[in-house]
Amino acid sequence: MRTQPLYLLNTVASPLAFLFFVVVASRGALLSYGILGGMILTVLTTGTGIQSDLVHYKQDMKFQDVVVSSPVEAPIYVAGIALSEFVYAVPGLVVFLLLSAVRFPGVPPTGFVYSLGGAATLFGALLLVWAFASALGFTIATYFQDIRETFVFSPLISLIMTTLPPVYYPISSIPASIRWAAYLSPTTYAADLVHRAVCGVHSACYEAPSLAAAGVDWAVLLGLTAVLFFLAATKARWREP
Amino acid sequence: MADAVSSRHLSKTYAYRGGSTVALEDVSFDIPAGETFGLIGRNGAGKTTFLRIAATQLLPTAGTVTVLGYDVAHEERQIRSRIAVVPQESRPLYFANTEELIVWYLRLRGMDRRESRRRANGVLEELGLEDVRRRLVSRLSGGQRRRVMAAMVLASDADLLFLDEPTTGLDPFARREVWGAIQRANRERRTVLLTTHYLDEAEALSSHLALLEGGHLVVSGTREALRARIQLPYRVTVDGTTGAEELSRYGTVSGFGDLRLVFAREREARELAQLALARGARLSLAPVSLEDVFLQLVGRPLDEGPEAESAEGAA
Repeated sequence: MRTQPLYLLNTVASPLAFLFFVVVASRGALLSYGILGGMILTVLTTGTGIQSDLVHYKQDMKFQDVVVSSPVEAPIYVAGIALSEFVYAVPGLVVFLLLSAVRFPGVPPTGFVYSLGGAATLFGALLLVWAFASALGFTIATYFQDIRETFVFSPLISLIMTTLPPVYYPISSIPASIRWAAYLSPTTYAADLVHRAVCGVHSACYEAPSLAAAGVDWAVLLGLTAVLFFLAATKARWREP
Repeated sequence: MADAVSSRHLSKTYAYRGGSTVALEDVSFDIPAGETFGLIGRNGAGKTTFLRIAATQLLPTAGTVTVLGYDVAHEERQIRSRIAVVPQESRPLYFANTEELIVWYLRLRGMDRRESRRRANGVLEELGLEDVRRRLVSRLSGGQRRRVMAAMVLASDADLLFLDEPTTGLDPFARREVWGAIQRANRERRTVLLTTHYLDEAEALSSHLALLEGGHLVVSGTREALRARIQLPYRVTVDGTTGAEELSRYGTVSGFGDLRLVFAREREARELAQLALARGARLSLAPVSLEDVFLQLVGRPLDEGPEAESAEGAA
């Protein structure tokens, strides 16, 4: 960021481009979904994006070796990298929050676009997406020998977790016979929560979520995050075998 | 004298799809505390593998290594708070400036801000990096970056420093500055494990040395003991125009390319030098060095190409 400020635009570009195509293709009908989906895509790519940094620091700069042979434990290192990566998500999140403020009117008593509960839900869901994506990115990164390997996985994860699942569009758009597949992606549950956070109080949403219960959404996201943290703690190669 | 590092029957095999590479086999030696220990050998000899195991980055396949009294396989936490490492081919983070990076590293190790700044200032001065203290690392030369890496660990309060070829790529002046900082660490009674290709560096800095070749320990001991392996104190190098039989009258002869090395006592060395000069032959006369020891033990010079693909590279 200090050496190349344009990096900041990088995380905004993809979610905005995707929003653009979704809005054009739906003739504006999916604008609300697109805005909310853009937030999820932004934090997800920021989380999984740490794999490139981690592999670069480990393989090209040998920085991870410096850290391994120091009092710093793996979780602290990963948390530091993930937080520094999160800085890049801030411009994207600001853009999408501004768009949501334009799209949705303020709700009483705060006058803000989200109710207090909605804001908490939005924050919690995005936090969990970022957390499990970071844990996933770290675990994968420790197995890579070359940064080019991450070039394969990052788009794949994005495809599986944001492009295909109902993040930018409602789940009802998926044919009923294969709708179950959408629930294999954790972002489906996050999107459901985020849509609830907004659509519960706004009529501007194209379609209110109806399939998964909020409790199920939270349980899946929390469970997956716990599992990925466990995998990161036990299976990631901090010290090489 | 207590040992900072103790290796017993250490072996390391890198397994990969379709095969494996033995990087170290049955390696046992000790590194005394408070000394600078030179680990020498060619590419692929196993130097970096040994260092990475001792620095708790890599697990051994067999055998044991204890560092500062702790087992590297099971007690790595106790070790990590007391060691600092400059890995081979490591580069400093490019988005920080020189001073920030050193302070960050020290803060990462738990040092308070004030002490971190004080130590950073000291090491910047010592390693000739004062002029670039506010310069982004991305704008430093390759040699300056290597010095920044060395500065980070030399500024730390670690009891044991691992320096994996810290002066590779440095110009002679910068090398001397790093040498000075290593000597200072040694004066502070800190232990330094130094791997290097440069035998003059190993000889200048290390009180104890070990030579690895093809994953095996060839020899280890004090610098003086290694030098004493060649009984005759002088080496005369002459070109191949003089016959080996004639040369053998002056000392022990070994061939090396077009040159012949004669190890001799002082009087015979002088006589041989005069003879060679009288015949117009090219010659050099010098005290026996580590390079001679290496040559005699291994049969070829250190800077001759590696036997095979580096096992460390496969790791």
